[in-house]
Amino acid sequence: MTDFQDTTDHEVKADMAEIAAHKYREGRLTRRGFLSAMAALGILPALGSKAMAQANEIVVVNWGGRASEVLQEVMADTYTKETGIPVTVDGSGPSGGKIRAMVESGAVVWDVCDSGMGTALILTEQGVIQPINYDIVDKSKVLDQAAYSHGVGNYVYSYVMASNPKLLGGNAPQSWEDVWNTKDFPGMRTFRKSVRGMLESATMAQGIPAEEVYDVLNTEDGLKAGIDKFRQLRENIIVWGSGSASQNLFLQEEVAIGNIWSTRAHLLRDQMEDGSFEVSFKGGVIAPGVWVVPNNNPAGSDEAMKFIAHAQDPELQVQWLEMIGSGPANPQAAELVPAELQKYNPSSPENLAQQIFYNDEWYAKNQVRAEEMYVDALIN
Amino acid sequence: MPRLSDTWRYWFLVLPALAIMIIFYIWPLVGIWQISVTEPALGLDNYTRMFESSAVTTSFVITFRIAFLTTIGCLILGYSVAYVISNFARRVKPLMVALVLLPFWVSVLIRSFSWIVLLGRSGIVNDTLRGAGIIDAPLKLMHNEFGVILAMIHVMLPFAVLPIMANMRGISPAYVDAARGLGASELTAFRKVYFPQTLPGVMSGALLVFVLSLGFYITPALLGGGRVLMISEYITYQIQEFLNWGLGSALSVALLVLTALVILVAARFVNLRSALLERN
Repeated sequence: MTDFQDTTDHEVKADMAEIAAHKYREGRLTRRGFLSAMAALGILPALGSKAMAQANEIVVVNWGGRASEVLQEVMADTYTKETGIPVTVDGSGPSGGKIRAMVESGAVVWDVCDSGMGTALILTEQGVIQPINYDIVDKSKVLDQAAYSHGVGNYVYSYVMASNPKLLGGNAPQSWEDVWNTKDFPGMRTFRKSVRGMLESATMAQGIPAEEVYDVLNTEDGLKAGIDKFRQLRENIIVWGSGSASQNLFLQEEVAIGNIWSTRAHLLRDQMEDGSFEVSFKGGVIAPGVWVVPNNNPAGSDEAMKFIAHAQDPELQVQWLEMIGSGPANPQAAELVPAELQKYNPSSPENLAQQIFYNDEWYAKNQVRAEEMYVDALIN
Repeated sequence: MPRLSDTWRYWFLVLPALAIMIIFYIWPLVGIWQISVTEPALGLDNYTRMFESSAVTTSFVITFRIAFLTTIGCLILGYSVAYVISNFARRVKPLMVALVLLPFWVSVLIRSFSWIVLLGRSGIVNDTLRGAGIIDAPLKLMHNEFGVILAMIHVMLPFAVLPIMANMRGISPAYVDAARGLGASELTAFRKVYFPQTLPGVMSGALLVFVLSLGFYITPALLGGGRVLMISEYITYQIQEFLNWGLGSALSVALLVLTALVILVAARFVNLRSALLERN
């Protein structure tokens, strides 16, 4: 059923759930553990119980944990207050395979799903999700790069350059070239245990302008050169497998520099002492999460679109940023972001101008091969 | 009433355990073998890919190197400990045996995390050394092979000590006394009389530690920093990160075959039956 290449990075979504759990420390681990176990087993939500969601209820699905509660509180309850229509957030993880299975079995119980660009592209091709109705959803309230035919941006996150100036003699690297300069910036670096969001930085470290990164990576030589950069740096590399691992490496001062998720940088901002944590979005890679609506959703197309339009509200999106560090997909939200958070907002105009958008097509084509070359570069 | 023959009665006793092994172990294992030749397409593609990939070959080399060094470390430390416990400790013997066994009661995960606390850049060891003015910059004690091997020796040590100790217990002190009485120096008596008698214990300890180390996952994953990629971590990586069940399965079959080969080779030198099954 899921024999397609899905490039969407669901880990980052699960990671956000984890972040939220950490931040609020309200536990709920058993529920989340249960949900992720259900997701891992590929068990669909009990189709019988809610099979016929009432037409006057909207079911929004994301990736579980406290992030579901934040979504409930910030987006769902406010919608109910405005319209009187109940909105339920379900955290069972709407993977592409599940959405497709649900649509094909004819028992759709989900109205709006928190998905990713890669998944949305595949689901569009398979014809199981609806086109976004841009008469109801406001195209001007979402970043241009995140307004697709069958999916629309709900929030964004970035791969960013983080550093600990305290360990670098007061210096902070200003570019990826600096990150590769171990002479002036001695110390360990952390990169992800996957090429996603990493190869881009290795390419920029060769002095290639941000906007040409994927063109270069599309050539065999460009890909090899990017991989070679990791080979050169590997004595200074510790990899992070999960978002929390990247955070720990900074907290324990194991690394001086890293390429990590902006959501984790958002947390480290609070946790690290003054002067020992810097983030730069220069040369960052920004990736949008998108809402998708399965075919024949129970609440009806218009109701789902109205909810999506509601979630575009800039003020609500800023609350979302404050609570779990995911950046607003609505560019108008930027000016509402509190001053001290501006620097950590992936979609502020300043930060946006310095970043490139994550290219799902490139990953669909090259990821498997690139991953193997990456592992080889790190260990061989 | 007809009585079952003895053989049948014994079979009935092992039947529940056997059934569990077959249903929950052998059967899924066969499934893994099947996946390795059927996903993504029928054939031996996964295996050819595996041998062509230098990442995989390197990972196997790392795995065997680490298992080998861990075994050497465990034997040196384990032999000394077993020797002291068997020959010199009298009153403190139960205490020493308990200390050897103690780590068995603590989860490998917790022990590995303790090593992180000890070996980190601002961990206890580095802080102490820096505080004492012995070093200026922190030493790189983990996120490399050194840290992995150190922690693995710690985890595996009891597996070396116990067989060697069991073996030493069966050695009569009369032999060494006789050698000494005939004029051999203490060292010669140890080298020519005592040590050869302990070889079966050493061999079974070595085999146990080596084979267990080959499949080790938690410690290298936590302390290796991603660059000490042992094969079990690589398997996890293939399956969890890339959903590449085919290659992941092929890798685990390869690990199983290589481990079996190690045991076969060892069988030429060690009496496996006495080394692993019979404890005196």
